[in-house]
Amino acid sequence: MYTGKGIRMVKKRNLKKIAITCLAVTIVFIMTACGNKEGKNKNLVNSAGKDKKVVNLFGPMEKSNPDADNMARTAFDITIGIAEKKLGLNVEYRTYTAENYQEKTYDDVTLDRVRNDMDDLYLLNPDTIQILGEEGELLDLSVLDSAENLREVVKMANMIDGKLVAIPQEVVAYGLFVNKDMFDRYKLGLPETPEDFLECCRVFKENGIETPVGANRWWLENFVFAQAYADLYNGGNTDAEIEALNNGKSKYSDYMRTGFEFLQKLIDLGYIDTKTAYTYEAIEGEGPGFLAQKTPIVMAYWGAANTETAYGNTDFELQVIGFPSKLGQMPVVSMTGYSINANAEHLEDTINTMDIILSDEALQLYTETNKVISPSKNVEVDCIKALEPLNNRIKENIYVLGSNASMKVEQWGNTCLVVRNMLNGATVDECLAELDKLQEESLEK
Amino acid sequence: MKKKWNRRRTDKEIPLLLSIILVFFMLGVVVFSVSRKITKEMSDSAIQNLSESLDLMKGTLEAILVKEAEFQKLIAQEIAAMDNPGEFIHSYNRNHTMVKISLVPAGKKEGVSNTGEAFSEEGLDFSAGETIDGLPFSRSYLNYMGTWAYSMKCPVEKDGKEIATLYIEYVYDSFDESLPDGFYNGKAMLYIMDSKSERLVLKPKGMGERDAGHLNLQDFYRANNILEKGLLEEVSECVDNGKNVLFYHDIRGKSALNYMWPVNGGTIYLIGYVPVEAIQQEGKTVNQNIFIVVFVMFVAFTLCFILYYFNQKQQNRVRKEREKEREIHNKQLAEALQAAQLASNSKTTFLSNMSHDIRTPMNAVLGFTALLARDAENPDKVKEYTRKITASGQHLLSLINDILDVSKIESGKVVLNVDEFTLNDLVSSVDAIIRPMAKTKNQNFYVEVTGIKHEYLLGDETRINQILINLLSNAVKYTPENGNIWFRIIGLKQRSSQYEHIRIEVQDNGYGMTPEYLKTIFDAFTRAENSTTNKVQGTGLGMAITKNIVELMGGTIDVTSEVDKGSLFRVDIEFRIPESHANKQFWKSNGISRILAVDGDPEICKNIQMLMKGMGVLADTAFSAEEALGILEDIPMGKSYNLFLLDYNIPDMDCIQMAEKIRDIIPDNVPVLFLADYDTEGIEKVFGIKNSGILTKPFFVSAFKEKVEEIQKGLKGGSTDTEQDNSLEGLHFLAAEDNEINAEILSEILLIEGAECEIVGNGKLAVERFINSTEGEFDAILMDVQMPVMNGYDATRAIRALERKDAAKIPIIAMTANAFAEDEKEAIKAGMDVHMAKPIDLELLKKVIKQCIQGKE
Repeated sequence: MYTGKGIRMVKKRNLKKIAITCLAVTIVFIMTACGNKEGKNKNLVNSAGKDKKVVNLFGPMEKSNPDADNMARTAFDITIGIAEKKLGLNVEYRTYTAENYQEKTYDDVTLDRVRNDMDDLYLLNPDTIQILGEEGELLDLSVLDSAENLREVVKMANMIDGKLVAIPQEVVAYGLFVNKDMFDRYKLGLPETPEDFLECCRVFKENGIETPVGANRWWLENFVFAQAYADLYNGGNTDAEIEALNNGKSKYSDYMRTGFEFLQKLIDLGYIDTKTAYTYEAIEGEGPGFLAQKTPIVMAYWGAANTETAYGNTDFELQVIGFPSKLGQMPVVSMTGYSINANAEHLEDTINTMDIILSDEALQLYTETNKVISPSKNVEVDCIKALEPLNNRIKENIYVLGSNASMKVEQWGNTCLVVRNMLNGATVDECLAELDKLQEESLEK
Repeated sequence: MKKKWNRRRTDKEIPLLLSIILVFFMLGVVVFSVSRKITKEMSDSAIQNLSESLDLMKGTLEAILVKEAEFQKLIAQEIAAMDNPGEFIHSYNRNHTMVKISLVPAGKKEGVSNTGEAFSEEGLDFSAGETIDGLPFSRSYLNYMGTWAYSMKCPVEKDGKEIATLYIEYVYDSFDESLPDGFYNGKAMLYIMDSKSERLVLKPKGMGERDAGHLNLQDFYRANNILEKGLLEEVSECVDNGKNVLFYHDIRGKSALNYMWPVNGGTIYLIGYVPVEAIQQEGKTVNQNIFIVVFVMFVAFTLCFILYYFNQKQQNRVRKEREKEREIHNKQLAEALQAAQLASNSKTTFLSNMSHDIRTPMNAVLGFTALLARDAENPDKVKEYTRKITASGQHLLSLINDILDVSKIESGKVVLNVDEFTLNDLVSSVDAIIRPMAKTKNQNFYVEVTGIKHEYLLGDETRINQILINLLSNAVKYTPENGNIWFRIIGLKQRSSQYEHIRIEVQDNGYGMTPEYLKTIFDAFTRAENSTTNKVQGTGLGMAITKNIVELMGGTIDVTSEVDKGSLFRVDIEFRIPESHANKQFWKSNGISRILAVDGDPEICKNIQMLMKGMGVLADTAFSAEEALGILEDIPMGKSYNLFLLDYNIPDMDCIQMAEKIRDIIPDNVPVLFLADYDTEGIEKVFGIKNSGILTKPFFVSAFKEKVEEIQKGLKGGSTDTEQDNSLEGLHFLAAEDNEINAEILSEILLIEGAECEIVGNGKLAVERFINSTEGEFDAILMDVQMPVMNGYDATRAIRALERKDAAKIPIIAMTANAFAEDEKEAIKAGMDVHMAKPIDLELLKKVIKQCIQGKE
């Protein structure tokens, strides 16, 4: 217990401490002020940093809302930040996005830039991966240490002529984003088969929802893939069937017919508005209607459920399910991968950067931030509740690939273009004929 | 008072505090306005700098465009001079600036290009009519490399005739190297916009916060929330007219300066924003430094203030303490003054009393001396007068002794003569003095001793005696006739095994004292004064002397009293216990190992038991005669007791009768001692019992031992008659005494006793006389101390120093008025045998002389 005298002593001691601290701070100030004396005979130009190493990255640009954080970009930036820190370099972004559908697409620009060796590192869509891989413009990424951690499905989807030409940071699974509240309101179960889906659309339409399916010009082909390849990827004879397609014994059009017919039905019944679908950019076009609960169904990729700029913050219960198929809800897995220009100006630094952003450490951070499926077999994280139906199917190994580099006819980009033709008025047969033509061209190569 | 002082202090502190706050407020206002001024000036300067930077960039870009145009014209001239321009075109390899060269011959729609494919102007839009150095400038477009480009076309003229058109494609990326690297430390954003399409054709790399870039001006507005219609219209108008635009608008929640700077008259625009914090960095730094300085000053000032405050607080505390001390000192001084005044008054009163008290017996002495002279023939009257003169003299002597004692104690000269004594002797001597005094006033005097474990103790017996006599004589004095006086010695719990802790209580049921008097009872020169006690003679020094002696012995004294109910004095004191004593051996050698004590008082029985245990003797006790006889009957003859101690006033049987019964049981040689009060009547009957004796209460081992010795001697046939012959008949003394009267008295007294005395006037004469005497001529020398020529001490030393055989042996007795203990010590040290204080007690003198002479013999 302190006596009065004791307290006085403690106070005095504290006072001394304060006085000493103030004195020390004053000395620090004085020394700092004296320490900043500039040398007269010294070059004052600071050239440090000007010679810093650079890796040029070309990627798509998402139109951002004011003051909104782009979660996916943030997660990617985290991994880039790790690489920059470890390698002591700057990754410089170059971006492009078409202003409208009449302008060159991102894929077009990417093809031009890669062919003209404009950048070192690219984020590529599956179709461009296929084209550029076949042209030999992309580096074989098997040299990366991180390639050893990849899941087999990832390797398979990105392998061209025995070269691993792209590696994604996430396995992109596409699904139907449905407004569960609206389904409940009309006492509808979530559709499993194409018939279920048509019935749901009918009920919505009868209840005044003019266009039950919100679509854009990029992702409608998922309906086709789900029905076309449900058996191929889940039947146990995948390699042989792909081989038959590659050597022309089987026809892509035979696989895709039901899918295109289904799509045609959706169009004919007015469940999809072809005019808007043909012009809408992804999410930007159909997204507002879905968020405003005017459209009960849209399609999007896994990450859109986590991203505030997409569907990460809805006023209703969001559920993400697979596309309808005869095997039930079917996720469509696609991959937008990172590739290195084989003639990259900063090749070594780019390889090192890739190795770091695809390392387990970086992918763990990426996957935790975005709550996505990691391409590394060593990284597993829990997904959000809305994604559980889709995730459960993938865990059951039930999915189709939207892009497969081992198929000689590029799927993702070509099918997309064919679907656009349908939106523009082409019949199912015309569309299938286009596919046959593509297959013939591939056989001629 | 304190509250008032505090309020005054608070009243002073509030204006001081307000003044300080005001000063700080003013300082704050000044600093704030200076800071604002600096901010504004720096902001203006920063805007100026930004404008200049943008002008510089604009100039650079325009210079590049002009140089490109000039270079294109030069190439056109070269091509005009060539025989095969197509070959030249095909051979051209693109560089970072010019990525494509095409040539379309005049009059044709298609031409050749260095990229190999056929070229036509269809893909290029020159409709805006903009030119660079006279060359048409196309709208921006995405070229074959997937990057934003523009083209200029230049006519190829030969001999004044246009033979073809040269198209060169330039990429905006080439401007990147000419623009600042990290505009405003990378905090600013810089785009190049094609003014017609409003597409952003060159974007910053790295994207600042790594968020998405912008497609076009509308996207720039939307993403940066620039939606104010008026502002947009104004900006649009400026852009249309190729004017500079600079406006403030928040970008991502931070204030920013947005700019649009036309290049080449508005063909392309530099657009972007600079956060205000980046522009005003210097101003901010200056302000921060100002605030740091102000803060440091504030901290320093606060520290000074705190130090000042604590210093003031400390000083106030010290001042308060000093004031407090001063108050205490003043109080002490006042008390001392009061005490001094009281002492002065007391001394005045004392002197007055002394004058009275000395004159009274002196008057009696002189008066009775006069009467003696007149009635010298009447023997009865002579006896009566001499008795009264003696009494008055005795009183006068005690008065003088007390005064001397007080004087000595107050001057710290009292020295205790510590020696072994027994409580028995102490109690006996006190009893012998007090009991007769009490008896004369028909008072009952009770002596009680309980709980004493050791009665042989070390102490100044004389001074203890003095304490007891003072207390008890006061009790007798201040207790009316038939009153009771109790004298108790109580053994308390020992604090140390080496000390006996004793409480002495003297209680009476006399007049008692008032509370006021109790406060001063131990002060010197005070005396209880009332009508009753005025009759009592006393110096008023007794209690002061008593208290001082008690304290000198390390004890305490206190008193409780009530008027008309009596007083109780209580002295607590510790005496050292002497080391091993031969007493145990005595009991063993006399074959006494077990005794039976019979007393109706259990306390006495317990006391006997306790004391005898210390002697190695087992003491059984019985509280009645019946019980005692019962014990005796139970014990076999062989193990019977060695001694019996019987209370004379045993309750249930006559003591003599009981003794006889005991005698019937035990052998005759076993002593029977009777415990009796001092003046028990009929006690002599006990001598009828064989081998018996009387032991006066209270019980003490020493007295018990003496009595047993006495009985043992009787049994052995020894005489107990120790009466000594103190007669001085036939002795011859040499006395050194300078006072003639004293010399005459001494001479006369000795003559009466049949002795001769030769008087000399000083020490020197005494020495000479002794030298001249024959051996054995004088039996002893009586030596005064204070004498002229040579004092008694020197004379003694001189005599002792003589080589005569009897010089060392002859008894020299100091007879002096120097009555203090140190005087006695000095006398012994000088070689004297005995020290006797004047006035001379004849009986004592006789006894001492005889002892000395016999001792020397």
